[in-house]
Amino acid sequence: MTIPVQPTQGSAQLPRPARWFLLAPLAVWLVAFVVAPALILLVYSFSERDELGRVVFTFTLENYARAFDPVYLSVFGRSLGYAAATTAICAVLAYPVAWCMAQARPPWRDRLLLLVMIPFWTSFLIRTYAWITILKSEGLLNGLLLYTHTIAAPLELLYTPGAVVLGLVYAYLPFMILPIYGSAEKLDPALIEAAHDLGCGPWQSFARVVLPLTRPGLAAGVMMVFVPAIGMFAISDLMGGARVPLIGNVIQDQFVGQARDKPFGAALAVIFMLIFVTVYWLWQRRAEARVA
Amino acid sequence: MKSLRLLCALLLVAVSAARAAEALNLFAWSEYVPQKVIDGFTKETGIKVSYATYATGEEMLAKLLAGGAAYDLIQPPDYIAEAMIRNKLLRPLDRAKLPNLRHLAPEFLALPHDPASAYTVPWMLGTVGIVVNTERVKDPIRGYRDLFQPKFKNRIVVVNDNREIVSWALVTLGLNQNAITRENLAKARPLIAEWIKLVKVFDSDSPTTPLLNGDVDLGVVWSGEAAKLINENKKFAYVLPAEGYHPYVDLMAIPTTAKNVAAAHRFLDYVLRPEVSKLISDEFPYTNPNLAARKLLTPAQLANPASYPPMGKLDTFRDIGKAAADIDKLMTDLKTAAAK
Amino acid sequence: MLAFLWGPIVVLAVYSFNTSRLNILWEGFTLRWYGEVWDNAPLMEAARTSLIVATITTVLSVLLGTAGAWLLHRYRFRGAGALRTLVGVPVMMPEIVMGVSLLVLFAAVAVPLGFATVVIAHVTFCFPFVLLAVQARLAGLDPALEEAALDLGATPLRAFWLVIVPCLRPAITAGALLAFTLSMDEVIVTYFTASPEAATLPLRIFGLAKVGLSPMLNALSVLFIVATVAVVLITERLQKSSRSLSSRP
Repeated sequence: MTIPVQPTQGSAQLPRPARWFLLAPLAVWLVAFVVAPALILLVYSFSERDELGRVVFTFTLENYARAFDPVYLSVFGRSLGYAAATTAICAVLAYPVAWCMAQARPPWRDRLLLLVMIPFWTSFLIRTYAWITILKSEGLLNGLLLYTHTIAAPLELLYTPGAVVLGLVYAYLPFMILPIYGSAEKLDPALIEAAHDLGCGPWQSFARVVLPLTRPGLAAGVMMVFVPAIGMFAISDLMGGARVPLIGNVIQDQFVGQARDKPFGAALAVIFMLIFVTVYWLWQRRAEARVA
Repeated sequence: MKSLRLLCALLLVAVSAARAAEALNLFAWSEYVPQKVIDGFTKETGIKVSYATYATGEEMLAKLLAGGAAYDLIQPPDYIAEAMIRNKLLRPLDRAKLPNLRHLAPEFLALPHDPASAYTVPWMLGTVGIVVNTERVKDPIRGYRDLFQPKFKNRIVVVNDNREIVSWALVTLGLNQNAITRENLAKARPLIAEWIKLVKVFDSDSPTTPLLNGDVDLGVVWSGEAAKLINENKKFAYVLPAEGYHPYVDLMAIPTTAKNVAAAHRFLDYVLRPEVSKLISDEFPYTNPNLAARKLLTPAQLANPASYPPMGKLDTFRDIGKAAADIDKLMTDLKTAAAK
Repeated sequence: MLAFLWGPIVVLAVYSFNTSRLNILWEGFTLRWYGEVWDNAPLMEAARTSLIVATITTVLSVLLGTAGAWLLHRYRFRGAGALRTLVGVPVMMPEIVMGVSLLVLFAAVAVPLGFATVVIAHVTFCFPFVLLAVQARLAGLDPALEEAALDLGATPLRAFWLVIVPCLRPAITAGALLAFTLSMDEVIVTYFTASPEAATLPLRIFGLAKVGLSPMLNALSVLFIVATVAVVLITERLQKSSRSLSSRP
């Protein structure tokens, strides 16, 4: 049995039995557990709540009108800012780590991979409290700095925007390291040598050779960090003292908080997701266009 | 592959083991029902208790309303119980099966949400009050006006509860804490805006952490948390705000969807026994409505000012329905503005 | 970098030996918390549940994610664009929204909450991470590789298994680790899709946080890390010895 194989990617026709064998699980799973909940959400977003917080099915656009209130727009903008800062810092920190891991000899690769991942197998809450122990005003870091006379008075570290970004970076770093590692691992060191031989400086060979070749991994990492970081709320509560409401907090409050307004929460979530689905779709199309 | 099969076998065993004997599905606040109490109940009755938890009353409501799991006994806060009674989501209690109800102080059986206690039994009572680290704060703090002063900026923690914060402003202005109207919210707005600029941490789950850590010196927190702080260190003092305060009650109730109603009643009566109720007080230093159980407490427990403050009228929160959305918007707006 | 990653872990490990109940000041050395963890039956039960859930989730996510990535990368068919976009949706959906909507879904089709619903939910938000990681690697894969295999007479399936999968191994490992990590630590979606019997470790820990985190939880984290490292070392040793056995003449 042979099937026509064409040199460009994503162009082959799928043979019939294999098609169903491969396609069915993915399609069924996506329809059942992604499309169906998304539809429920969509229906909710046009509904109303009753006194108790139950959803009453009507058709209203009021939830969407409320979502575009300046109050919620500025919350959204701020969430984007935190997520963007987190993603940028993660990328800068993760790249060299992923690169070193990818260049290590094979038995060490897996060991390094685990060394990076194991800290994240402890509970998020315990890790965050460990950070609080370090950062609080009578904490370890301030103690160390005072002891070495680096500072004269304790610094205000905890419950600041900086602490929130630190917490976010710490939480999402592996989601940047791993995809970059995944695509850097296949890079042939000979390529860099070649670039070097052709007279490229280290920076130039990075920008011209390494970066383009690891771009898919970097892009995947950005996606895995940026989008979840926008919706994150536990870290801003614990390390930021819940002073700044982020979009995740607002949505959370509609579903399981006092606001008890699932339709409004659903409308916020629908808008949130529409924006990213559109961006993601465009990104995918561009990636495809580049390949073709 | 082999390990996968082993896992599946393990799963089957786990599932089938869970389906034996009489059971009680308890749905309560996280860790609010001591393991000792549950073990004691199972030992005596043979009824297996499965304990599911939630962190906010609304979380409980959301999961209960969605269906999917039938709970036999829940622990709603007062204002949610009120809305549930009105919407016929709670089952009337069979008082004949609850002889131990007689141990409760009568005023706790006539609370505004359920004046005849036909549907609910009080579990524990709390207040929201001010905690002062007296080593660092020498000024007298009697109420909200003393607390929210510019000189205490960034030295205050408050519970991360929008309705609470709004109610403090309302009572400070001499308004009714349950009168959540747009006019009243507009009146309270400037005061709240000033206040939240001074707050360093909003935390409902563990508001005592920043106080113990020394990150803040003042707090408006749940009384049970304050009582634990005082047990930890006597430098902390608890004050009921002079402008007004309100108690809140966590209740026990049986949803209409409950399957094991008899077991739920047995558990209710079991936890009303003085010696069992005392175990709860030992772990959670809130105000115990069970007078017979209070007799079993140590003088130190009873002397804790946060556990047993002098309480007047029991004016609890009432359900405010859709007005919650106005509070949500107001607080989101003010917090965002304060962060700029 | 490792200091940044491991700093908090070292701190929590040190405090697991602290006599004070509160993570505030160092008071003295004790092993008491390790004993308490061991005796805390619900906590150990939850740890076991979490491990089982995370393992099953990882296996299913790798299967679904790798096959999906290959499918979307290699073949052109109607609806491919839609599928590709849909894969991104679970990553974008805020956890609370996914939790509530899955709960409504399960209730609507009368699926009782329990172990299976937790696994379904976990796979739903984990497999896209595997898929994205694998896809990123496939994007740079030389199509000539598969062609060569096919020219040499391999069936597409064999070509995939013998040529493509080994090339994807680092990305699959990375994706599997991400899936496992996510599943081990997820709280919100799990909360809405779990029954009390299927309570995972993070659910228990969030509950305990309500009464104050005791060093017992630090001790649990330390035990977990030690156990993981031990398993890894033993596996390596076993692999090494079996390799040396088989390479003997």
